[in-house]
Amino acid sequence: MKNDKLLSRLINDLNERAKESKCLYEIQNLLNDRELSFDEVCYNIVTILPMGWQFPEICKAQLLYKNKIFQIEEFEETPWMQEVQITVQGKVTGQINIYYIEERPQADIGPFLNEELTLIETIGKQFELYVLHQQLRTVFGNHGNIENSTQSEWRSILDLLTRTDKGFAVKITRKMINFLCIYGVKEAESLLEKFSIPDECVKEKNFPFKALEDIDSMMTLTDVFSVAERHLTEEEILTNVHKWIKQESSAFMANILNNNATTVSEIISALEKYHFLAEQGLELSGLRQKSFTVALIRKFMSDQRTFIDVAKKHLNVDSFYKLTNNLIHPEHSLGKLGGKSAGLIVASHILLEDSNNAKKVKNLKIPKTWYITADGILDFMKYNNLEDIMEQKYKDIGLVRQEYPYVIHVFKNSPFSSEMIKELSKCLDDLGDTPLIIRSSSLLEDRMGTAFAGKYKSLFVANQGPKEKRMTDLMDAISEVYASTFGPDPIQYRAEHELLDYNEQMGIMIQQVVGKKVGDYFFPAFAGVAFSNNEYRWSSRIKREDGLIRLVPGLGTRAVDRTSDDYPILISPKNSDLRVNVSIDEKIRYSPKQIDVINLKTKKFETKKIDELIKKCGKNYPIINKLVSVISEKYLLPPKKFGTDYKKENFTVTFDGLLSDQVFMKEMNDILYTLKQKYEHPVDIEFAHDGDDLYLLQCRPQNLGYDSKPITCPEDIKQNEILFTANKFISNGLVQGISHVVYVDPVGYSNLSSLEEMKNVGKAIGLLNKILPKKQFILMGPGRWGSRGDIKLGVSVSYSDISNTSMLIEIAKKNKDYVPDLSFGTHFFLDLVESGIRYLPLYSDNRDIIFNEEFFTESTNIFKDLLPKYSDLSNVIKVIDVKNVTKGREIQIYMNAESDKATALIRDINEEYNSREHYHFRTKDVNKINIDKKDDYHWKWRLRAVEKIAESLDAKRFGVKELYIFGSAKNATSRPDSDIDILIHFIGNKVQKEGLLIWLDAWNTSLGYYNFLNTGYKLENILDIHIINNDDIKTKSSYAMKISAVSDAARPLFVNKK
Amino acid sequence: MEKKSFNAFEMAKKQFDSAAEMLELDEATRDLLRTPMKEFHFSIPITMDDGSKKVFRGFRCIHNDARGPAKGGIRFHPQETIDTVRALSMWMTWKTSVADIPLGGGKGGVICDPHNLTKREQEQICRGWVRQIYKNVGPFTDIPAPDVMTNPQHMLWMLDEYEIITGKKQPGFITGKPVGMGGSLGRTEATGYGVIITIREALKKLSLKAKDTTMSIQGFGNVSQYAIELYTQMGGKVICVSCWDQKDEKSFSFKKESGVNLTELKNITDQFGGIDKARAKELGYDILDGDQWLFQEVDILIPAAIENQITEENVENISSKVKIIAEGANGPTTPEADKIIESKDIFLIPDFLANAGGVICSYFEQVQCNMNYFWTKDEVLGKLDQKMTYAFNSVYQFSTKNSMTMRVSANIMAIEKVVDACKARGWV
Repeated sequence: MKNDKLLSRLINDLNERAKESKCLYEIQNLLNDRELSFDEVCYNIVTILPMGWQFPEICKAQLLYKNKIFQIEEFEETPWMQEVQITVQGKVTGQINIYYIEERPQADIGPFLNEELTLIETIGKQFELYVLHQQLRTVFGNHGNIENSTQSEWRSILDLLTRTDKGFAVKITRKMINFLCIYGVKEAESLLEKFSIPDECVKEKNFPFKALEDIDSMMTLTDVFSVAERHLTEEEILTNVHKWIKQESSAFMANILNNNATTVSEIISALEKYHFLAEQGLELSGLRQKSFTVALIRKFMSDQRTFIDVAKKHLNVDSFYKLTNNLIHPEHSLGKLGGKSAGLIVASHILLEDSNNAKKVKNLKIPKTWYITADGILDFMKYNNLEDIMEQKYKDIGLVRQEYPYVIHVFKNSPFSSEMIKELSKCLDDLGDTPLIIRSSSLLEDRMGTAFAGKYKSLFVANQGPKEKRMTDLMDAISEVYASTFGPDPIQYRAEHELLDYNEQMGIMIQQVVGKKVGDYFFPAFAGVAFSNNEYRWSSRIKREDGLIRLVPGLGTRAVDRTSDDYPILISPKNSDLRVNVSIDEKIRYSPKQIDVINLKTKKFETKKIDELIKKCGKNYPIINKLVSVISEKYLLPPKKFGTDYKKENFTVTFDGLLSDQVFMKEMNDILYTLKQKYEHPVDIEFAHDGDDLYLLQCRPQNLGYDSKPITCPEDIKQNEILFTANKFISNGLVQGISHVVYVDPVGYSNLSSLEEMKNVGKAIGLLNKILPKKQFILMGPGRWGSRGDIKLGVSVSYSDISNTSMLIEIAKKNKDYVPDLSFGTHFFLDLVESGIRYLPLYSDNRDIIFNEEFFTESTNIFKDLLPKYSDLSNVIKVIDVKNVTKGREIQIYMNAESDKATALIRDINEEYNSREHYHFRTKDVNKINIDKKDDYHWKWRLRAVEKIAESLDAKRFGVKELYIFGSAKNATSRPDSDIDILIHFIGNKVQKEGLLIWLDAWNTSLGYYNFLNTGYKLENILDIHIINNDDIKTKSSYAMKISAVSDAARPLFVNKK
Repeated sequence: MEKKSFNAFEMAKKQFDSAAEMLELDEATRDLLRTPMKEFHFSIPITMDDGSKKVFRGFRCIHNDARGPAKGGIRFHPQETIDTVRALSMWMTWKTSVADIPLGGGKGGVICDPHNLTKREQEQICRGWVRQIYKNVGPFTDIPAPDVMTNPQHMLWMLDEYEIITGKKQPGFITGKPVGMGGSLGRTEATGYGVIITIREALKKLSLKAKDTTMSIQGFGNVSQYAIELYTQMGGKVICVSCWDQKDEKSFSFKKESGVNLTELKNITDQFGGIDKARAKELGYDILDGDQWLFQEVDILIPAAIENQITEENVENISSKVKIIAEGANGPTTPEADKIIESKDIFLIPDFLANAGGVICSYFEQVQCNMNYFWTKDEVLGKLDQKMTYAFNSVYQFSTKNSMTMRVSANIMAIEKVVDACKARGWV
């Protein structure tokens, strides 16, 4: 309610502001109009002025200058008046007066508004500048006529200066002496002594030297210029004086910028003044321009040297003037915009302002964007007395998580200051009613090197309906983004990286969503992300530095995040024709099936099925013919201009049309190349295309995340620790904590004589995938995993058969006289990428690599014990319990794409690993890192909980004979997202079983919630319950074989049998 | 003990040898038919997109063309071997023979991985393949078709190259082309309809009427959908369909005792024949485990999905009501299960008879191309009916006359026909 009231008042206010800015704008135009004479300008000013006031019909303006009075008509002076004095070079030379000729109700100052006072003062200032410039203009005459100047010209300038600005005259004099000295004029040197510090003062003394006597500077000026006259031409003198005067007029900028405490408001007014002067012909020396630019970069963007080095080459003072037009800031803001904003601004200048680059990417645009400075959040919190929430970050993470919904609630119900509302309203007027995205742009996000991506919220707002409603929605979204600063995920991340004490602030980008309205929906034709470096190569022909693009139809949200149930199209921009999927079946299976859109009617962000949307929108979907292919029997055809019926036919998203015309590809290549080159660092960009133009949405240095950091093999390794090395097509990363190896012996496999046996290998792998500890084993095998065509080429498995492995290794072992082509995981490449399973090709016969084959073939093979049913395959499949055969050690694989080298080592368990980020490889959701507690925390509480369950279980009532625990909780390897595997030997009846399950379900719910509070992982079933009966135990079938198994045997727990 | 590794060609020879034993073939005939008559091995040099040169290995085998021009696919496969191509060409000879179309058997391929090749490079390989072999293929010599990792696009590139070299329009050189570019109508329906035509004939032999029967079918792809369509038109009732669920990575059976409605199921099916479980439930279908389709109380079972579905383990659970199993897929029954089916007195229509509709339609495509006159879909399907009916009855008669199972007689008859043709020509 409070907001609504505020709003309606605000709308009234805004009309006023609009009038004022219009007035100011017209006056500015007037002052810049060189065609008009001075008097004409003055008359026009008094004509325009009244329209800026609240009651223009009774408002009269009057301008007094020197002896003249400018006004439209005679009127009687009243007591209701405002005035401002015109001061030129220190002297009051005139005055502007505003009168109301009738009485009006009391406002801020009499009948006048505060803003009106500001307005008249601003106009007064501008008029002063105008007058000054007019004076100089009369002196200089027209530009470019320096050669024709007469002797009197520079003299009259000096006269003017001596009369108006003594300080400046002295400066000019000093500059002239210096100039003459450099020129080698002896007389000048002697004059210089007058200014110099006595010799003894220059020597190091620990007391201040005596100030020089006040010399008659005017005298000196005459002296100096007489010397100059004797040694320099008229032209030289005039040019120099001209130059120095120009430099001087930018001094105010230096003053503002060199002061750390200047606020954005001060900078903005300085920039405005500068811009005004620049239009009047002010020029800066290259150095000055540079130093201003750097100062502004520091002020608005970042103090990081690496960033400044890049930014200063592409921004200039004018860039910031333009920026301030779209800047929202609290009154005393210091100006930082945050990482995302800064990144986008710099990238857009690199691409669009530099004409060389702009030519290449002529269809590239940046969506209209407004920026809120990062300290806006402080202002917001202060205004609402929410400062205590700042302490949130020091609380226990469980508490943070628990209180987070409350923080969101409080933030969303807190109003913005009227100052901010005013600014936001202006912003909304400018952006209109297209949907908006509110992006977080925090200070931490801009630090090169920290992978802070995706921790804070970015929210879409439909931005539809009356303005009041749109304002409420916008503010609601901003406050939610603000609240996300105090979310558990970022706080935990900061805690891990010792960034808690850093004063994090949250800048905001308010950006128009790129797209078109189609029916009720709003979305871009397609969108995506692109990287300079490709960490997921699917062919040996693709190089890492060729880059990678992830494309999706509609909003880019589906390309940014990995999705478990859908696939983006991956493109190598340098080899757009080498696609991940080739056959029709693959192309359809691994195509995007869903699309994210904004529903303008429901005002919601929605996910739709793409085929349904195409049938609904048909040709209205922008450039649909370039995005999809028609499925026609066994053939994918490009849609026809007229013949294709989008309502009837079947489509699959291929982007074939887009890629075949090469325009888009070339543009993306140019963008990636240019940005990488200028940043001197690989970049990561987000983009969208509305059917007509390509838009750059975001740009930042490519985040070398956990799974893409080059990891160099430790140096202190012994030869016997090396399991294998590889030196072809290596990606970056580190895989650790490997406790088991599943090795399909290439020779053994190729010797299998029947199809059946080969298929059984695949089946056995699928079973091992279920039994072995999740993400702690690697799969190694010959040729092409998942080969569908000829099973001889590699083990026939589907993705679900390998889903729990942490790494897939394809061994290319020479067979007779040829080395098989590896698949690079193509059969489920996208599944691997989306679930973070690493892939490594191993050319085991290459001479310059090490392959400790003996380890795999000769170590104790526990396969037979794990899967007795398939024991006849035990000379083909080897399962090695690494801990057992290496006396408690594990396998670690270090991968470094820069040097194209990977090394697998048998090492002691890496303690460091247990604490932090490397969990990342094991968790499915890449964006979640929630490890705060010590590693043993996760298994300890799980084990305790199960012990408690066993203890409190009424065995008789539920017909339970034994209860076992196995898996990660038993093995002390639990992760935050691990489940708890329980094996129940059940001997009761149906009713008892139902009862048991209900009883366990209660445990499941509460343990799941406990885990969520502590880690943020929502597990539907944290208890993974396996029930076995007497028969199972007799036949050792299914999970019963876990009891007394060789590896990872289930452990019985004490069960209360009373 | 050194085990011999799996080799498709060895397996094909073994199969042939046991048939030859039954047919008591002479040594020369065995020699002729155990190996392909002609083999071409050649190199295809390609300029890759980056300007580098690469040489690919190409093959074409003609196993036997005594009954007519050879016919068979072209495979693009990274680990293609000549033995695989040999085996597949032999199977094509028997397949055309049992379908009673005047063609021989061939197969070809290129060792390459399309995943590693751009479109342009694939085009170069297609054209290069034709350049190397054009003298020995052609509409009246040897007719290629799409196969593993090749599709209609590859066929068109090959056709184009062939026509440029020979200077004539000869669309009959290759099959599997899109409709309008020399493709035949009715191709989509052919296999599924073909399966039902054989069932219709089998029902006649068992003195049953389609309208009094029920059916359960595995798979909901092209073959199944058209099989259901035709069978329902004939008055039969399909009560259970199974399909693979992409997301759950397992299959499910969809059952409706009152009979499934093809249109309503198609509306909730994705491009892979995956039926939406939730929506099927709304429509009143029971969602059962993937293997349940096999255990339904029906008269007819059609495994139309993948190989090795009816095995020693599950064959005993087949309802005693089942009278016919028609193999819509290739090799859905294991040899062990086959014996049990025989003992249960179920009428089994073997795969290369039941799903011969596809190859017959390819033949029609070639025929239409050669006369440059294209039939309507009805004409194609009408002729398909005649061919299938004839093929079925020949095998049936052969089996009753010689007291053999349908599978064995199809096999023996196919080989015998080829032997006859060779002998008639005086080859052996």
